[in-house]
Order: sequence, then C-alpha cells, then structure tokens
Amino acid sequence: MMKKMKTLNKLFLGLIITTPLLLNSCSDSFLNIQPNDKLTLDNFFQSESDLQASTAGLYNKVWFDFNDKFYYGLGDGRSNNMYAPYSDYIYPFSDLTETSLTGPLVLAWGSFYNVIGQSNNVINNIRKNSKNVTEDQKNAAIAEARFMRGTAYWYLASLWGNAIIVEDNTVLVNHPVVNTSPRKDVFEFAMRDLEFAAKYLPATVSQAGRLTKWSAFGMLSRVYLSYSGISVDPNSGVRDQAYLDLAAKAAKKVSEESGLALMSSYADLYKIENNNNPESLFALQWVPNGDYGVTNTQQAYFAVASEITGDDAAWGYYTMASANVMSEYETADSLRRKATYMAYGDHYAELEKANGGYTYTVLHNSKKCCNIKKGVVGNTTDNNGKSTRMNSALNTYMLRLAEVYLNYAEAVLGNNSSTSDATALLYFNKVRTRAGIPAKTSISYEDIRHERRVEFAMEGQYWYDEVSRAYYKQQEVLDRINTEKRDFIDLYDYDKTSNTCTIKLNTTARAVNQATAQRMLLPYPESEVVQNPLLKQAPVKYTFTEDKITDLFN
Amino acid sequence: MKVTIKKQIIFLFFMLLIPIWAVAQVMTVKGTVKDDKSEALVGVSILEAGSTTNGTITDVNGNFVIKVARNAKLNISYIGYNKTVVNVNGRSVINIELKEQSRSLNEVVVVGYGNMRRTDLTGAVTSVSSEAIDKSVVTSVDQILQGRAAGVQVQQNSGQPGASSSIRIRGINSVSGSNEPVYVVDGVIIDGNSGSDTSNSLSSINPSDILSMDILKDASATAIYGSRGANGVIMITTKHGKSGEAKVSYNGYVGLQEMPKKLDMLNLQQYAYLKNARSAASIVQPDNSFVRPDLLGAGTDWQDELFSKALMTSHNLSITGGSDKSTYAFGAGYLNQDGIATGSGFERFTLRANIDTQVKKWLKSGVNLALSNSTQKLTVSDESLIKTALRQIPSVAARNADGTFDGPQTTDFVVTNPLGMALLKENYNEKTAIRGNIYLEATILKGLTYKTELSFNFGMDNTYKFSPSYTFGALVNNVIESERSKSYSKYWVLRNLINYNTTFAKVHSVNLMLGQEAQKSGWEYLDGYRSGFVSNVAHDLNMGDATTAKNQGSSYSNTLSSYFGRLFYSYDDRYLLTTTMRYDGSSQLAEGHRWAWFPSAALAWKVSNESFMKEIPAVYNLKLRLGWGLVGNQNVPNYAYTSLLTSVQTANWGTGLLSGNTANPNLAWETTSSSNIGIDLGLFKNRIELTADVYYKRTNNLLLQLPLPAYVGTTGMGSTSAPWGNVGSIENKGIELALNTVNVEKKNFSWKSTFVFSLNRNKVLQLNSETGVINAIISEGSETNIVTRTEVGQPIAQFYGYKVIGRFEKATDFYYKDANGVIKPTALPTGMAIGKNGVWIGDYIFQDVNKDGVIDDQDRTYIGNPEPKFTYGIGNTFAYKNWDLTIFLTGSYGNKVVNYQRRWFENPATSNNVLYEATQYAVLSKIDPAGPDDYRNIYISGGDPYMPRMAASSASSTSNFRYSDRFLEDGSYLRIQNVSLGYSLPHAWTKMLKIENLKIYANLQNLYTFSVYKGYDPEIGSMNQNVLLTGIDNARYPSPRIYTFGLNLTF
Repeated sequence: MMKKMKTLNKLFLGLIITTPLLLNSCSDSFLNIQPNDKLTLDNFFQSESDLQASTAGLYNKVWFDFNDKFYYGLGDGRSNNMYAPYSDYIYPFSDLTETSLTGPLVLAWGSFYNVIGQSNNVINNIRKNSKNVTEDQKNAAIAEARFMRGTAYWYLASLWGNAIIVEDNTVLVNHPVVNTSPRKDVFEFAMRDLEFAAKYLPATVSQAGRLTKWSAFGMLSRVYLSYSGISVDPNSGVRDQAYLDLAAKAAKKVSEESGLALMSSYADLYKIENNNNPESLFALQWVPNGDYGVTNTQQAYFAVASEITGDDAAWGYYTMASANVMSEYETADSLRRKATYMAYGDHYAELEKANGGYTYTVLHNSKKCCNIKKGVVGNTTDNNGKSTRMNSALNTYMLRLAEVYLNYAEAVLGNNSSTSDATALLYFNKVRTRAGIPAKTSISYEDIRHERRVEFAMEGQYWYDEVSRAYYKQQEVLDRINTEKRDFIDLYDYDKTSNTCTIKLNTTARAVNQATAQRMLLPYPESEVVQNPLLKQAPVKYTFTEDKITDLFN
Repeated sequence: MKVTIKKQIIFLFFMLLIPIWAVAQVMTVKGTVKDDKSEALVGVSILEAGSTTNGTITDVNGNFVIKVARNAKLNISYIGYNKTVVNVNGRSVINIELKEQSRSLNEVVVVGYGNMRRTDLTGAVTSVSSEAIDKSVVTSVDQILQGRAAGVQVQQNSGQPGASSSIRIRGINSVSGSNEPVYVVDGVIIDGNSGSDTSNSLSSINPSDILSMDILKDASATAIYGSRGANGVIMITTKHGKSGEAKVSYNGYVGLQEMPKKLDMLNLQQYAYLKNARSAASIVQPDNSFVRPDLLGAGTDWQDELFSKALMTSHNLSITGGSDKSTYAFGAGYLNQDGIATGSGFERFTLRANIDTQVKKWLKSGVNLALSNSTQKLTVSDESLIKTALRQIPSVAARNADGTFDGPQTTDFVVTNPLGMALLKENYNEKTAIRGNIYLEATILKGLTYKTELSFNFGMDNTYKFSPSYTFGALVNNVIESERSKSYSKYWVLRNLINYNTTFAKVHSVNLMLGQEAQKSGWEYLDGYRSGFVSNVAHDLNMGDATTAKNQGSSYSNTLSSYFGRLFYSYDDRYLLTTTMRYDGSSQLAEGHRWAWFPSAALAWKVSNESFMKEIPAVYNLKLRLGWGLVGNQNVPNYAYTSLLTSVQTANWGTGLLSGNTANPNLAWETTSSSNIGIDLGLFKNRIELTADVYYKRTNNLLLQLPLPAYVGTTGMGSTSAPWGNVGSIENKGIELALNTVNVEKKNFSWKSTFVFSLNRNKVLQLNSETGVINAIISEGSETNIVTRTEVGQPIAQFYGYKVIGRFEKATDFYYKDANGVIKPTALPTGMAIGKNGVWIGDYIFQDVNKDGVIDDQDRTYIGNPEPKFTYGIGNTFAYKNWDLTIFLTGSYGNKVVNYQRRWFENPATSNNVLYEATQYAVLSKIDPAGPDDYRNIYISGGDPYMPRMAASSASSTSNFRYSDRFLEDGSYLRIQNVSLGYSLPHAWTKMLKIENLKIYANLQNLYTFSVYKGYDPEIGSMNQNVLLTGIDNARYPSPRIYTFGLNLTF
C-alpha cells in the first residue's frame, strides 16, 4: 500500500515539474493571436483586386458625416436655398450663427480629414506594402485616393481657408500639434492631387461609379475656376486668366473627349435606378440596405411625412425651400423646380406607388410652402427594396457633367461682362434645354450664377459658388446675403402654375448675423483649437516635395 | 451555582440528540467542563479518541462520566469553543477548561489562490459575509458591497432591473474607461466591466449562492493577480456542503417596487399657459385648442403612464450535506423582477451543484458547476423612453378609446408615445452561462499539496429586437424590422498550484505557494436583420423579406500566461511577512512588451501577541500592517499593437477596405504601485473592532486611447481609430475605516453597529499627450458638448463648463467699473449684442474667465468634481428574543452631479414638456409702459430669481441653457438603504414542526433618500461604466423603492 502511494506521488511530482514546462515551451505561440475578422497589412496589396478593394472604401463611409447633414445644411442652408427654423443642423448655417461647436460643422471637418487620412493610408500602404502589381496599377489606385484627398482639400480650402496639410497620418498621430498652411497652398495641394489623378486615372472603368480621368478633369475645372479669383484683394474684381484658361481647358477636355452626355430627363437624375448614369462624374456610392455609415440618410431629413418613407424616419416637415430660392425660378423652369422642391398639388408617381403616387398637399400654418423633393425617393416598395429606413441608397452627386459645362461657360466668360462665345453658349444652353427652358444668346455672370443655383439646388453647391465669387467680388456677395432678409421667418404661398412665390406671413424672431468678410470662413471646431492652439496662429508655408505635373494638356 | 430549569431542558435536549453509546471500559473518568469564567458548560461532547461510539455529554452542571481505557485520549468539543484533547493518563477526575473561540480570529479569508486566517493577513482585505446578503434585497452581487466595505465605492448606473454598477476600489486607477475590479468566482475570473449601463457581467451569479465576498484592496493583496489586479480583486466563494446531516433551506420573498419620486412636469393646463406665452413671444404658432387654458384638465401624466408599481419574486432552494469523505451542495434559484418602467424587467434562473470528495487519503477532488439563464427586457433604456416620457406633452393621449395607442396629431418636432414603444417594441436579451471548475488536489508529503484545476465559463447571449408597424396618432411606421444576434464566449483557465505548509522549531511557520496558469478568452458574434415582415405576429427572420437581409459576424480571442508564487512566513505568530511575485505575458501587447513582473511585499506585527501586551487585557487584538505592491492593467482592444484593415460595404464592388486602427507597437502595461499602512484593533474581547488603512497609489503608463484632434483622422464615421498609448500617471490616496461594535449584549437583547468610512482623493500627475487634456463628450441631438475634462494637476474628469455669475437685472448690469474705475461693457457671448434676439434683461451673466471681454469657449472652467469627499455606511442590528431588526444607511458627501436634462426641461422656450421651474422664467416689464422697447426701459417683474427669461431667438435660448454650473447640483445624500425586520419562530415550535429554523421577514429597500438633488436620484454612477462620464444624470432610470416580505426555512 505504502509503496503504491509513493509511486503515485512520484507520478504527481513528475506532473508538477513537467506541466508548467510543457506549457512554457508553447507559451509564445500561446500568446500569438491572429485576428479572424480583420486583415493585417503584410498579407494584403498583392493583386489589382486588392488595390481596388483598398480604394473602394473611399466612396462612402468616410464621407458619411459630411453627407448626413453638412452637405445640404451648409451647401444649401447657408446659401438660403432652404429654410429650417427648428433643425439645428441647418439654421445655424442659414442664420450665420454657427460656432465652433455646431455639430454638423464639427462632423464635416472630421469627415474631410477622414477622407484625407484614409486616402493617405491607401497611398502609403500601396507604396510600402504592395507586391506583384504593376506600376500602372499602383498609380491608378493612388490616383483614385489622391482624387479623394484633393477634393476634400478643396472643401477645406473653400470653407476654412487655412488648413492642416497631412500626407502621412502615422507621423501626425505622434505629433499632432502642427501649423496650418495658407489657403493658397491648400488649393495648390488639392490641384496637384487632382492633376495626378487626371494623369493616372483610366478613361473608362469596368466598375460603374469608379473615378475616371474625366472625373479628375471635371473636378480640376471647378478648382481652377475657383482658384482663379484668389488674390490679396477680395474685391479686386478680376480673376487670374491663367487659371481661367486651365479651367476652360479641363472642362473642354471632359466635354469633348469623354464621350459623356447629359441625362435626357433632369428628374431622372434623382432616381436610384439612375445611380452612376453617364452624367455622374463623381458621386458618393451608398449601399442599398447597408449598415449605418454606408447609407444615404438625407431622405429621412427631407421627407415631409411618414407616408413618403413608410417609416417614422421622416423629419422634414419644417425643412422647406426658402422664399428666396423659390423666387429664383424662371416661370418656365417647372421641371427642375418640381424635381427639387414640392409645390402644393404636385403629383409624384414614383412615390407611394402602391397608392397610385403621392400628391403633395401639405400646408404650413395654412400656407402653401414647399418641402424638399430632391433626395426623396420613396419607401422600400417604391424602390424594389433598395430604399430603407434612413437609407435612400441614392448616390450623392459630388460632380455632374452639367457643372463642367457651366464651368466651361464661366471660364470662357472670365473677366468679361458677358460672352457670346459659341462653345460656351453651346454647353450653357445644353443645361437649359434639358430643363425645358429657352436657350440664351449671350451670357453674363448673373446668368451663370442663376443657372448654377437652380440646376444644383439641394446638391450642396451654391454656397461654394458664393465663396468663389467672394474671392474677387466679396462685397457683392456680402450685399446679396445681407439683403435677403434672412431674419424674417417667411411663410409664403407658392403657386406652381405661375411659379410665383408670395410672402404671406413673416415674423422677426430669427436672430441672424450679418454676413461679413470674417463670416465667409467657418470657425475651426473647438475641440481642435483646444488641442492645437497653433490653429489660431498664422499659417506656415507648405513645402511641396514632388514635381508639379505639367503635361496634362499637351 | 443554581441549577436552572432551563439548563436541565438543554441537557435533555442534548441527550435526545446524541445517542448513548454502549459502554464496556476499563476505568471510569469523572469531571467538570467549565469555560474560562468558571461557568459550567452544558452539553459538551466528550468522545474517546479513535472511537466513534464511546462518548458522552456534560450535564446541566457541566459534569460528565465516561468509561475509557487508562491511556485513552479524550476529544472535548463544544460549539463556539476551541477543541481540546486531554490525555487520561490513569486519572479518574479530570476538570477541563475550554477556551471560547474568537470568531474573527479564526475566520478564514479567501486570498489569491488560497486561504489565510484573517489574523495572518498582511494586506488590506475586507470581507462581506452572507449575512449582509441575506439582510438586503439585492439581485446582483455588486449591490451587496454598497456601504459595506471601506474603500469600496459602489454606485448603480441605472435602476433598471439587471443593470450594472460602477465600483471603485480605492479611487480611480485608470482613465481608459474601465475601473471595475475583477471578480474571482470559485476560480473563474470575471471582468466587472461590461461597458454598459444595462448589461451586468455579474448578472449570472445568484447572490443567495454566495458564502462570502473578500475584497482585496491594496496591491500587496492583489499583486498575486498581477495583470488583472489593478482595479482590485473581489473573491467570491459560493456555498459548499459540510459533513453532517443534510440541510434543506428555502428562502423566498415577494416584493413590491415603486417610484421613489416623481418629477414636477407640467400638466395640461400649465402646459397650455406656457405654450400660449410662447406663442405670444412669437416662438410658436398659436395653438387653437389652448384658447381657454382654464377649462383644460390635467391631461396625460406621462410619468404615470410609463411608470407603475412592479412586482418582484425570488425563490431559492438549497440542499447541503455530506459524509466524512464527501460533501455536496445543490441549489436552485429563481428571480423575476418587473421594472417600474414599462418595457424593462429581469428574470433569472440559476442551478448550482458542487461536490468535494476525498478520493484517497492523499487525493481530494471536486467539481463545481453553475448554470444560469437570464432574460432582460431593455426597451425602455435602449429607446431612451424615460426621456421621451418626460418630454411628451400632456395634450397627447396615451391611448385611444378602443385601447390602441394614441400619439401626437402632427409629425413635426414631436416625440413618440413612450408607452406604446415600451409595450410594442420587442427588445430583450437572453443569456445562458455555464461556469464551473474541476480540481484534483494531492497531498504529496505532510504539508505539501499539489492542486491542478480547470475553470471555465461559457456564455451564450442572444438578443432579440423586433420593431412592429404602428400608428400613434400622426406617427406612422409601416416598416417592420427584426434583428437577432447571437454571441458566444468561452473562457478557460488551467492552473497548477503547489502549496507547502510547515512549522519548524515551533515558532517558524512557513507557507509557500507556487503556481502557473494559462487563460484564454474567446468571443464570437453573429447578427442577422430583416425587414419587410408581413405582420407583427411572427418575429423570426424567416418571416422577413429575404432581400432586406443584413448580417454581420466577428470574433476575437486573447490569452494570458502567468507564473506566480507567494511566501508567507510567521515568526511566533508575532511577526508576519508575505511576499508575492507574478510574471504575466499577454497576447494584447506586441512581442517584446508582453511580459511583466508584478511583485509585492507586506509585513505585519501582531502587537497583541507580544508578552508585554498581556498586561493590557482590554486590547484583545492589535495588528499593524505595512505593504507595497505592483499590479498591472492590459485593458486595451485586441490587436491594438498592429495595423489592421477593416471591411466596408460597397454598393456593387464587393468588400471594400479601410484602415481600422493606428497601431502602437510600443504599447506597454499600465502599472499601479500602491503602499498601505493599516491597523487592526480589537478591544474588550473584540466588542470593538476597528480596522483603519491609509494608502497611496500611483498608476504609471496610463493606458488611454490617445485623445487626438479630428484632423488626425481618428474621429467619426470611417475614421481610423486612434492609437492606444501609455500616456501618463495618476495618484490616489485615501483613508478608510471600518468599525464594528457590540453595543449591548444581553441574554435577550443585543445591539451591534457597523460603521464604514472611505475617503479618496485622486489627481492627475502627468499626461504625455501633446494636447495635455482629455475631454469627455456627450452628444444630444446635433449638439456635441464637452462635459468633463481631465488635466494634469487636477482630479480626474471634473465637470467642465461655463459659470453663471448672475443675471442681467437692469441696464447697468451691462456695464461695470474695472479696477481703474473705467466703465467697461460686461462680457457677452461671441456674436451677440444687447438686444432681444441677443443678450437682454433676464439673461444669464457668464463669468469671463480669461477676461478678454467676450464669453466664448475659452471661458469654460472646472465647475465641480464628481468624486465624493467621502462615502460612508452605517449599519445597526438589534436582536430581541426572536426578533431582529437591521437598519442600514449609506451615504455620499461632497460630490457634485450634473442634472443634464434640466438644460431642456427648464427652458421655457422648449417645444416639449418641461419642469414646473420652466414656468418661473424671468418675466420682463417696461419701466415706463409707454416707453421704448429698449433694455434701459426693461426690468424683471416676476419669476424665480434664478431663472432666465423666455428668449424667442434660438441664439439667446441656447446661450442661457448652455452647459454651465446652473445645472450642477450637490450630489450628497444619505439613504436609508435598507430596513429589515425578521422574526424567527421559537425553537420549541419549530422542533414540533421538525424544522430547524423558520424566519419571516419584511424588508424595505431604498426607503428614503435625504438629498437636495432635484432629479430622481442622486446616486448616478458612470455612463456605460466610463469613469470620465461619472455623475451625469441624463434621464437615468431611477432606482425603485422595494417592499419585500420573505421567508427563510431550514430543515
């Protein structure tokens, strides 16, 4: 008995000694855990499809916080295309009372920098980690990312002026307190990105909606045109002819060489089935039935009532067209008006199909005001399941061919008071003809301004037109804003047959700020200034390291 | 000495219980057994050693007679007294004196990987016994600790059934979010951090199964847990069987819960008056139905609609017992708690079994299994329905005449029907957990044991969400959605322990423990969603439209490998030394930074065991303790040290990718070193017991996700998450006291008191981030607000906002004279001028902190600290004959809380319902009624002196109700946490019923709170257990008042 026990004891002793050793020997592998739901960098960027997957993420999620509210809140709210006295994501912009804490402003700033940061990661990861791919494939993917980055910088330059230029986020993470660069450098940075994109992006793509070189030339026409007005004097009244020429060249390249054309019907542009139509040069690609973050939420903020969306996400009753924009429409311009703003009695066959269409008969305090139509696509069954709660799945236009046409006309007009240039008129009138309104024989800046406002209303554009104009005719812009009587809450009767807007009731409870030179720029978000006091200091010139591309228009 | 009748009865009683053994022995031994006060002891068991049959008991005079062999040994035992062995040695008369046991001196405390006598402890350890659990109505173990353990601050994050608490052991150790301790339940390590208000990681444990909880507080006690010990360790021991006759116990209660307090929201009439005033001020359009407010009734009281009295029931049954070789315990428990808010509730079923058996003389084995299944309804919290109920206006009806739900008549800027949402929306989770361990323990040599143990914890969590179609007045939802998710977690730890116990030369007592363990946690998640359901009836995904399907899946795992040891040495039971060492390797960190050492050492001196102390009999126990140790924290997300790509959905292009995180390959352990000086003092035979500790802790290499500006690309949708780094250090220092007294101890009456006091101060010593501050934000609507800030030289997470220094009462308030007598304009908010739509009479004056003449974001400052100056608990237990009464109070003093929702509920311009205070806005009148509408012609003619005016412009309204100290309140409170009255049936009766014990009791939980706080409840906790968002009441679910009646039965 005792002997047996001793044997067992020895066995146990053996176990004691060996067990920890055994475990120890495999300890290091025990502590090496590989993720199963994510990829590590070293096993990726090894084929063209890897590269394409790495840029695919730049078309939706990173822009979400921009698209959700700021796209229209700033782009149309600030430029008085809309009026939403109770929506704090719109009225601070239209009232010029936004602060460094205004939610959508903070989110949009972050969104632009997420576009930039993720684009930088793509560019740097491809440069560092890619294997088994050709130089052309690498450049095409990098060009896609640089287009995104350049576009984000154009927004930053337009809205905040001086901005922080980042090329490598892994460096910035460790040293985040850096200086801003002056607006001109931010523009230059954006232009270089877009020029690279124009050079290396392909002319055609197999995946519809991907960027092409025409996207880049189109975007360049916008940026050159905008930049041409910048000088030390915001009231110089003249634009830089060199950049006007570049804008015209870029626009012309797209118009003449791309083979693309306008959609025949303006209203069809805003239907899900026409996502990535030939007129669309750059659009954010939202995912039907996608997870929150890759979704287009705008319909939920615009839809006037639950009956349109079929769910409780329809918060647009008090998000209306301003009286000011309704008065902008020419009498004959009803196609565009109806596709953009709903007027009393309008019938939309594409909404509430199950009930034979939707007729807009909403009154605001018994007045016939107009709610938003553009971006409103209807409920799930109207769209074959593609539109769901807080997700219309409609692409967000960032650049349309129509804009490139108008950019061309504006660049040709240049510093002249009017132009009758045949090509300029050709493209300008293509936009008007499509809208079913008479062509013009001579165009002035005012014609172009009007056309842009109406054509792109509720596409987040008009404020940037004002900003670009204010680079060289600031007082004109400030006067225009300050005479719009934004401090009145207007309730109006809009008559859709005559396209006339009659102000019926106004109260003076809106506390608005005057437009000033200072207010043409947005404040940096407070969280940023708190963390980086250098934002409040003078910008420091940016040192460009790569050579400028010069052979784009040869 | 008089022989009382009672003593005779007791004698008879014992005679009945103990069989009379047959006697046939060599000699007769007589004697008396007395205690150390020479009182005779009745019913003392005297048993011949080695025999199980030859024995007797003492009679009423303490006398005994026994026939034994001349050289026999007698085992003398008596409950409550030390066992004694007497050698007969041929003596025929033996008088024996038994020494009374001291309960506390022999108490065994569970420490890391072993047990110790309480008297041998060198570190700071507090224990909470099952008695405390029995005396209160708790549904989760964390609630037991409240006010009962010095140095442990417990705050429930929500009153929602099944919700979590925020537990801080000795202050805040980390800024990374989790400061929750870990719990070691029968060897299974459970992290107290769930990161959520509603989900409690301890919800699977039935408090009735717990025998004791031992809280390891200082690092000399927790260092043995190394990497897991940074926030303290709470050892939970469940009930095990004892050899002897089987015992069956039942404990059950039924309780009624109710709202302890209602907020004074406006009724319909008050609301109509206010709305009319708002339309008069051109804020809203006039409401035609409010033309004659005086004719209106009270309207809907949405608090009454959402909240109601709610039932809770609990049943627990346990069977324990065992033979000499094996012991067992089985238990089953059931708890059903409806929430006081409709759309909340918690139901739990638990089963437990353990067996310990002596397989061989040298081998012991045991298995312990616990199963739990719980269901928690979350509609009210996930849908923020309390906030909705407070906001909903009294003119909206809850139900239509036919019983269906009503709702607002328009869809613009209205809130939904909270009752309808609570009842119609399905939102609950069901969690099933199996926890257990199995061990083998071999005694290799005398004093040397080897134990190998496998513990595991499997969890299966299912969540169920279904959103039906509904019509609430004008609010229509036709989209029917369903979401189901499953997660599965698996944790195991394999442990090998060697323990050696020896005493040599009589005075050197040594205990050496060496151990090794390997742990692995894994987690998997699968989620599915569909909409397009045909009806509201069937909720499973298959009934939805397949084209709307969405799904997700993810997983992670992490491992920890550890080696550790403890050496305990005691010299003559006077000088004690404990040293521990642990070496941990974690998969959470990069190679090269994975492994770390965590040492500790502690000394104790039992002064009362010194010979010179024999002169001072009043001092029963006196021990001085001194300890130091180092513990770690590796609480970072998985794979934080390497760069990863995460997937992004695209419309037509397959899976897209984005960078998921910013790697920090140099990420290292967060370490906390702590020192502790303590004293344990027992006076007058421990009728007064005092434990006092003073500590200092310093946490270095603080782990934090770096607070970076947004331009780094680390915030918002599609961002790369910011890297985790080791950013700085903080300190905590404090004092804690625990005093237990026996105030009266008479035959029929006793009164015992406990008093627990904790004081902690924390300070940030260093922050290495370039920006130097850590802000915590709250987003409400489209407003994102910094609410707390953490900065070097300051306590952690103080409230950070504007300071209101007054109100513009008259025109001259717009100007002031500076030090030089120069008249200057009072600072106004940026972009605002004097005017009705800007700053006007009746608006708040904010402090111009940086004195730049304008109120902007630079004028925010620290406005209050959520950390209490001290917290305390006071317990009194009275026993009279068969009655016992316990009154238990807890309190917190000197902490500030933010009543965040007052920013909207006190704003008279708000379109939703508001508090009564909102109607007391500053009423403005003209000084000269015929004069101009100029600020010089305006004065405040009415309203509450602390309320601003009703401002028509949103800018003015937003400015007055900006996040300021106006919404800061004193969070001090004293709560009658518990009053429990019990009656035990006399033994004479219970004996007849053949039961051992029957007790009935009534319990009042959360009876009353003394507090000036204006919200529901000053006990607020931390939002989602985030330490940076402590003390912010954002429509927290109030803790209910509970009346329970229960029954304890043992037979």
